Amino acid sequence: MGRIYRRICFLRFEGFSAEASRMEFTDLKEAVDAAKASSPDRDEAEALLRRLLDEEGERVSEAIAFAEVLIPMLGERPAASQGRGPIQAAAARPHRHAGAEPASRGIADFIDDMLAQDRRAAP
Amino acid sequence: MTTAILEKPASPSATLPLAASTVRPSSTKPAALLVGLDLGTNKSCVLAGNPGTTDITVSKVVPSVVGYVKDGIVDGIITGNAKILFGEEALRQMLHVELATPLAEGIIAHPESARDFLQHIRLLADPTGRAEIRAVVGVPANAGEAAREAIRRAASGIFSHILLIPEPFLAALGYRDDARVKQSGYVDPVVNSLFIDIGGGTSDLCLVQGYFPTRDDQISIAFAGDAIDELIFDGLNRTYPNNGLSVITVREIKEAHAYVGPSRKPLEVKVVIGGKSRTLELGDAIGNACNALLDKIYPALTSLIARASSDSVVTLLQNIIVTGGGSQIRGIDTVLQKRLADDGYESPKVRLAGQDFQRYVAIGALKAARAARENQWQVLLG
Repeated sequence: MGRIYRRICFLRFEGFSAEASRMEFTDLKEAVDAAKASSPDRDEAEALLRRLLDEEGERVSEAIAFAEVLIPMLGERPAASQGRGPIQAAAARPHRHAGAEPASRGIADFIDDMLAQDRRAAP
Repeated sequence: MTTAILEKPASPSATLPLAASTVRPSSTKPAALLVGLDLGTNKSCVLAGNPGTTDITVSKVVPSVVGYVKDGIVDGIITGNAKILFGEEALRQMLHVELATPLAEGIIAHPESARDFLQHIRLLADPTGRAEIRAVVGVPANAGEAAREAIRRAASGIFSHILLIPEPFLAALGYRDDARVKQSGYVDPVVNSLFIDIGGGTSDLCLVQGYFPTRDDQISIAFAGDAIDELIFDGLNRTYPNNGLSVITVREIKEAHAYVGPSRKPLEVKVVIGGKSRTLELGDAIGNACNALLDKIYPALTSLIARASSDSVVTLLQNIIVTGGGSQIRGIDTVLQKRLADDGYESPKVRLAGQDFQRYVAIGALKAARAARENQWQVLLG
């Protein structure tokens, strides 16, 4: 269940809301229902599940924050591997926080983003 | 082979945009001029202005066509006995020139005519021919390195510095009303919008949400105005064989009568065939061709909407903007909006960019030229 919830968090972070919702209402629901059914105390089970999911969400946030710091540092070295996983994908994507004061970002900052993308894409 | 370009190392002034005070006209140092250029398959738009100002000294829309005067043309037929004509002049004299279209599907297809065309653009921006020109040039969304390199090569020796930026993002920048950015209630198109730029060669869609769009936020479809022309041309020839009408005439018919949605019949168009005036019924030919464009755009539109986060998508749906020549297709905004609503999207609002649809990319490019820092420019060594 933790693995499923982490996957949902990463999908939402990467902007794949539709896929994240699908997993939330199918795989995760199935896992949660199974966990509740196996516990004699429903309230205690729900509290435990909520704590578990909150902890998993926190782990995902910390992992993403760590990746955003680490990946640019690693990017200055020659590329050691190909392929994209969630962390690499997250590092390749600029901050996507809705309403993150874009008015304070100048056009030159956008150009910096573009040039950074071009450098990452370059062979 | 890669064009020789030089990306300047950071210097104390590298983080500052080019300012008027950094360039002092002198007997040895040429004045600097900034250019925003939308290099379109059918029409290009060039804007020019001096650094450190907001003035626009040149604003021109030019058909992207070069005419090489045929051998044996009598003196005086061509104004100034020019050997090469451009834009409207080339089209006016099409009987006496070999017409070349430098671009196809938004990218340079004929390098020599592209260089000639850029020389002409340079002269339009700077009639003195003496300024050092820095140009931001729009490229189709997700244009590959080969397409970008072709532009750099064509511009080498014509512009001193260049910066290539995807067109849909430039359209958002150009469409943005800078005077209203801080007003409450104004939705900055650079913050949360979806632009649909329908040109001659490509239809480009771009999600713009406060950061520079990634490759996944942009879709370029090689189906746009030119493809519609071909479909109408084919439809016309099926219904009226041997009509003799040229693609240029068909394009003019399209620009006057294009529409999407249910068939509008009768749509009668008067043309001259073999010297005689005829009335052709073109409702289905035009409607089918334009609806084919919509059938290609709509899936791309919904796939980009799906990328938006749940907390931004409702506002995004209120800011879908159609620009470029395709924005002149009658009903394109209402039909797209209805399709989205019928498919269950929450209160979608599709609007047209308005009368400046031909200029937004170039306006955005000039804004970018004014804001670009010294170390963001590429120096063209040629």
